[in-house]
Amino acid sequence: MPQPYKRSRSLRRLNIKVSGKSVLHYKERKPGNAKCGNCGIVLKGVSRKRSVKMQKTPITGKRPERPYSNLCSRCMRYVIIDKARLQ
Amino acid sequence: MTIEIGRLVVKTAGRDAGLKAVIIDILDGNYVLIDGETRRRKCNILHIEPLKDAIKIKKNASHEDVKKEFEKLRLKIRETKPKQKTERPRKKRKTSEQLRQQKEEKKKLRDIFRKKEEKVQKTAEKEARREETLEDKAGLGEGKKE
Repeated sequence: MPQPYKRSRSLRRLNIKVSGKSVLHYKERKPGNAKCGNCGIVLKGVSRKRSVKMQKTPITGKRPERPYSNLCSRCMRYVIIDKARLQ
Repeated sequence: MTIEIGRLVVKTAGRDAGLKAVIIDILDGNYVLIDGETRRRKCNILHIEPLKDAIKIKKNASHEDVKKEFEKLRLKIRETKPKQKTERPRKKRKTSEQLRQQKEEKKKLRDIFRKKEEKVQKTAEKEARREETLEDKAGLGEGKKE
């Protein structure tokens, strides 16, 4: 088994033309879509970047500003309403 | 729980979600004015959840009155500082005296650079002459050998 960092098949392969010849370029794959922890719907406003680019993006660009950013807005609303009614 | 002035609510949408506020004014059938932990703002009734508690407060009460009431309940209040006006940086026209001074400075700089250029040219000419003489000498030397 090759060591994980020596693998090239797990990377994204791109055929790029360089001076008339097609050359294989390898690129890291993007992470999958972020999903709601409750209902599983794809979250909007959560950026899908590679880890290096994610470091450079500001915190507000990574996720929504509201609380429970791991949930969709509908599920978050249910959680807050439940808590308010229990008080 | 009805929506009325003085009713404590929790905001359920947007960046202020989960924060407590009090209804200050009812604007129409759909909208109310709220203040407290959230920003003082107009808000849709569908985006708030009324709580059991209520405060005695006047209609359209000021932010300070709301602050006093919230301090009694040991709740934090959001303080927003109003933006202070700053003067726009504007270009000022130069006076005739300033323009004259600017021209004189430019002239001085030009003279300094001209002198430097002349010096450089003279040195280059001298070097060219030396090289010529050296080449001649070399040519003579070669000629003698031949």
